[in-house]
Formats: sequence, structure tokens, C-alpha cells
Amino acid sequence: MSYTSALLAAGSRAAAALYAQAATTTTEAPAQQAPNPILPSSTELLWGTVSFAVLAFLMWKFAFPLVIKAMQARTDKIRSNLDEAENVRQEAQGILEEYQRQLADARTESNRIIEEARQAADQLRQDMVRRADEEVAELRRRSIEDLKAAQDRVMGQLRLQVRDLAIELAEKVVGANLDRERNLALVDQMIAELEARPAGGG
Amino acid sequence: MLEAALKFPPIGELVKWPAFGLPGFNKVALICVLATVFTAGLFFWAGMSKTLVPNTVQNIVESVVEFITDGVILQTMGQEGMKYLWYLTSLFFFIFFCNIFEIIPFMQFPASARMAIPLLLAVITWVMYIVVGLKKHGISYVSKSVKPPGVPFALLFLIIPIELLSTFIVRPFSLAVRLFANMLAGHLLLVTFAVLTGALLGSSIVFLKPVAILPLAMDIAITGFEAFVAILQAFIFTILTAVYLGSSIHIEH
Repeated sequence: MSYTSALLAAGSRAAAALYAQAATTTTEAPAQQAPNPILPSSTELLWGTVSFAVLAFLMWKFAFPLVIKAMQARTDKIRSNLDEAENVRQEAQGILEEYQRQLADARTESNRIIEEARQAADQLRQDMVRRADEEVAELRRRSIEDLKAAQDRVMGQLRLQVRDLAIELAEKVVGANLDRERNLALVDQMIAELEARPAGGG
Repeated sequence: MLEAALKFPPIGELVKWPAFGLPGFNKVALICVLATVFTAGLFFWAGMSKTLVPNTVQNIVESVVEFITDGVILQTMGQEGMKYLWYLTSLFFFIFFCNIFEIIPFMQFPASARMAIPLLLAVITWVMYIVVGLKKHGISYVSKSVKPPGVPFALLFLIIPIELLSTFIVRPFSLAVRLFANMLAGHLLLVTFAVLTGALLGSSIVFLKPVAILPLAMDIAITGFEAFVAILQAFIFTILTAVYLGSSIHIEH
């Protein structure tokens, strides 16, 4: 920008010359004539040059970089915010997917547990039913045996009593003392014949 | 009788502003100083504002900067022209403020309607694009810019003087005159209808007084139009400066 400063220096020299001229013209001719509407006036040229030079300097050196810096800062800020938002969004997406995966896992797991429990309960039920059935059968078998034993016992006693009773009765009826040993054997044989008959005849 | 009522001042009188205070410091000088103050003020204000969300001034300033970046520099010079952004932006705002005083009450004069201001800016543009061309292409800048490629030898005798004249002499002149003439014409239009309104209102013939509404309405319409012209001419001057700089950077037509 060295030519800029050279330009500025040349401009300021020209401005100084113009200023001197303007100062003399205004002091020499205070009663102003109407200016030429087309040709440039030297004093206006001078003031315009000074104004614009000051403006250009201020803008080039200070004001414009400020605005550009602010715009750049905002651009950067917005870009970084957008990037950050994108990162956060992706992170959230990741977390969401993780949760959904965990949820799906948990659902599968719970289904598996329920299925297992159902199978276990089924098994247990079947076991219990089977065992109950077995117990019932055992109980029935034992009670039948008991009944049978009781029946046998009763039948034995009954047989002895009936035999004695019959002998006694026969002795009384016949009135003769028969050979007891032979009589007993006879009655026993008769009862055995009775037992050998079909149950319907008893 | 009507002629006596309508006294139009000579044009020289319309642009005659007495100096006050400093030597030669007239209304035109004041407008130039105000244009400087406003432009610099806008940029300092916008640049120093610390809010992230831009306020109105920032929005205006930044949208103009962006417009000059995208609509002017990148269209005419490409990325290479970005180093002139600060200058073109300053130029645009300075010309705009010089122009807009045409319709600001109590000022009502565009500084750019005085040849000094457009001439100054056009000369700066002229010096800039010649310096840029010479710095970039050396002395071949001159020969390249007056001799378009692919022109038959016989035609060169015609083309070279024309190009020489148009690139190095007519360009700054036409640039200055375009702005100057547009703004002076606008000012004269406003003055004409204002004078006409005043003359009709002050007429001794009673039935002419209501007719004053017509030039008054015209004056109002032209005021609006001149606001548009103020922006348009500032833009035209800025984009032509960019175009000339661009033609110095990329000489090939």
C-alpha cells in the first residue's frame, strides 16, 4: 500500500494549494457571483477532496475492518453453533438408538423369562397331577388290601365259629358223641367246597 | 401577466451557495463533511455493536457490504477484487449521502450536482484503474487495453485511437458527467415544480391558485423518484468503478 500513501501525500499537497487559492479568492471577492453551473468550483473540489480523503482513511483503517470482523465473527459463531447442534443431534440419535436397542433386548429377555416360567409352571403342574394320581392309586390299592385282609380275617373267624357252631349243633341234634376229629375234618371239607363254588352262590 | 408571475431563476443562481465560517465552506462542503460523518458513523456504530443478533444499523450496513461483495465485486472482478471492498463500500455510501441531501428538508441540494464532487471521485477511479493495470501487467497494460485481440491489421488504425480515447479519456469524464448531470437534472426538476407551485399560489388570478396542486403533486412524486435515483446513481458509479478495475485486472475483453 506504499502507492496509497504516496497518493495521499500528493493529494494533501494539491489540497493545500487549492486551500490557499480558495482562501485568497474568498477574501478577494466576498460578494459572490453566481458560479458556473457546469465547471467544478475549486473550493468545493477542495472540501470534497478533504472529506472523501478523511472518509477513505477512516474506513480503510478503522471502521470497515470493524464491520468485517463483526460479520466474520457472527459467521463463525453461527457456523460453530450449527456444527455443535449437529454434533448434539448425532449424539442424541446415538443415545436414542442405544436406548431402543436396550429396550428391544429387555423385551426379548422378558419374553424369554415369561416363556421359561410358563414352561416351569407347566412342568410343575404335570408333576403334581402325576404325583396326585399316583397317591390316589396307592391309597386305593392299600385300602383294597386292607379291606381284603379284614375280609379274610373276618371270614376266618366266621369259618371257625360256624364250624364250632355247626358241630355243636350237630352234636346236639344227633345227640351222639361222634368222633370229633372226623367231624371237624368233614366240616372243613364242606366249607372248602362251599368256598370253591362261585361267589354268587354264597 | 402570467409571464410576470413566473420568474424562473438562472441555473447559476440555483447552485450558488455562500460560504460560511471557514473559507469556501459552503453548503456543498457541509454536505460532503456530513456524508463523511454519516458513512464513518454508520460503520463505527455497526462495527462496535457487540450483539450477536444484528440491530437495524448493522443490518443495513452489512446488507450493503454483502451486496457490494456479491453483486458488484464478484460479478465484475472475481475474488481478486475483494481488496477493493472497503473502497467501493465507502464510495457507495459517500455518493449516496451526497445524493440523498437532494430531498432532505432544509438541505435540499445534492453535493453531487456540483461537478467538483463527481469529478473528484471519477479521477480517483481513473487513477486507480490505471495504476492497478500498470501494476498487474506493466506497460503492456496500455497496449493490451487499446488493441483488442483478433482485430484485422487494417482496422487497428481505427480501433487504437478509439480505444485509447474511450479507455483513458472518455471513461472518467462520462463517469463524472453521468452522476453530475443526473443529480443536477433532478434538482432542477424539483426546483422547477416548486417554483411553479409558488407562482400559481401567488398568482393574482384567483382561479389559478387551486391549479397549484398539480405541480405540488408532481414535486412530491419527483421527491420519491429522486430517493430512488440517489441510490441508483450511487450504485451505478460504484459498479462502473468495479467494472473499470476489473477490466484492468483481466484485460481480455
